[in-house]
Amino acid sequence: MKVTIPIGPQHPALKEPISIRLSIDGEIITGADLRLGYNHRGIEKLAETKNYTQNIYLVERICGICSHSHTTCYVQGVEKLMGLEVPKRGLYIRTLIAELERVHSHLLWLGVAGHEAGFDTFFMYTWRDREVVMDMLEIISGNRVHYAMNTFGGVRRDITDMQKKKMLDLLDLLRKRTAYYLSIGSTEPTFVARITGVGKLPPEKAVSLCAVGPVLRASGIPRDVRKDDPYAAYADVPFDVCTFDTCDVLARVVVRVRELVESYRIIEYLLLNLPAGEISVKAPRKVPAGEVVSRYEAPRGENIHFIKSNDTDKPERLKVRAPTLANYPATLEMLKNSFIADVPLIFAAIDPCICCAERMVELNSRGGAREVVSMSQLRKMADAFYKKAGLKKKAGTWPL
Amino acid sequence: MNEQSLMEEMQKALGTKVAEAASAGPRRIFVRVEPGDLFATVKYLRDRFNFTHLSTITGVDRTDAFELLYHLANENCILTVRTRISRTEPVIPSLTPVIPGAVLYEREIQDMFGIKVEGIPDSRPLLWSDDWPEGNYPLRKDWTFERRPENIPGEGQ
Repeated sequence: MKVTIPIGPQHPALKEPISIRLSIDGEIITGADLRLGYNHRGIEKLAETKNYTQNIYLVERICGICSHSHTTCYVQGVEKLMGLEVPKRGLYIRTLIAELERVHSHLLWLGVAGHEAGFDTFFMYTWRDREVVMDMLEIISGNRVHYAMNTFGGVRRDITDMQKKKMLDLLDLLRKRTAYYLSIGSTEPTFVARITGVGKLPPEKAVSLCAVGPVLRASGIPRDVRKDDPYAAYADVPFDVCTFDTCDVLARVVVRVRELVESYRIIEYLLLNLPAGEISVKAPRKVPAGEVVSRYEAPRGENIHFIKSNDTDKPERLKVRAPTLANYPATLEMLKNSFIADVPLIFAAIDPCICCAERMVELNSRGGAREVVSMSQLRKMADAFYKKAGLKKKAGTWPL
Repeated sequence: MNEQSLMEEMQKALGTKVAEAASAGPRRIFVRVEPGDLFATVKYLRDRFNFTHLSTITGVDRTDAFELLYHLANENCILTVRTRISRTEPVIPSLTPVIPGAVLYEREIQDMFGIKVEGIPDSRPLLWSDDWPEGNYPLRKDWTFERRPENIPGEGQ
């Protein structure tokens, strides 16, 4: 007998709304289907109505974790269209924020992976250390989530020597902790037993289904936009592309922990070799007609923006493809022939960011002026509203 | 292999199929083909130059026609295949036999532009909500959003 069970759009195992429908045979998944669109916000359409500078702030809000990846991708594309030469120091600071963001995203993910595998101590440890890197981001940008560092022609804040010293100290701490996580992640017997062989994705499937980022590298394919298509300061920085070849969740853990170590190397190099000079140049308001493809290696994989300009101060078209969308077909492949109990783990292992992947439905907010209302007053208003509403009378038009 | 030699070899192999090929800066190539030649071009690029990765498909409404841009990547560069289809009868062949990972992008194009992708293995709407009205394609330039009147019980009786 064929049974289909829905997981989501609202489900305890998912942090954001997405709907997976699983066909099962006993405990084994025979097929998986995906339904998107629960979080679509119309950003691509909205971007056509806003000017280039406003769009920096718009694309920053595509994602709450890899916010810098979207702004950098967008900004470097527009800079190319404007023909701007960004000063070296600006590029270095941009890259520094990008790597700090990768560290905080990977530490967050490691915690989630530990949590999904039933290893909550690991979750507590990594999230405690994630605070360290959040502090580092706050030292530079003043913000913990949306750093608002990028602008056309460079970055908006400089780094002082004091900040540099403090960051290097904090980096030492992170290094020590990460070495410990690598030893846990790859040797702790219960954890390794839980994640080995789960969510297999053979390399040829990973390539044909166009997977990106750590998911692709965990299948042994050394693709990394930072190496293949160097942007910002990556051409100057020595680092290795991390791969692992067991093609399962274990590989995805190992790849991400190794990438953390590489990120520390990059951050240290950038801080120690920060060139002197300006951090930004002045940018024009209008952008000459043209089109550009901009790529960026976000923590979750390749992020690509296509920008088409038409000689005005607003883009003609801004196309955004966030890495999570590219990893969905591969995820469905991983889910096939695994157990139902592995679904949260497999799904978490692509590090899904659903709000990133979806950008296109209407907001239903009613807008209008804001005012401050006390709790007791709010309660009175609510009582009055429901008395007036006459819910029973209108049951037909308002089924809930 | 640099961009110049790649373009030369491609033009030699595909001949008149490639209407236009230009390099826009390092590691960026733009190629224009007719919709009928799209499939063959992508297949050749995948087999000969290892363009196995389709980054995404961008649709642009040029008001007189739809332009579709297929961003293909290999380890050296990103090659954009551009094609134009008529706005009155928008049909494009599916790339899924060559690149299975294209399916979500093709479904997105169907939802957002109302372009029919022929031969797509799964043609259900990807992003629309269940009550999305027929014939609304948000990324067409002539589509504007009109907020539906809200029906809130107790208000405006």
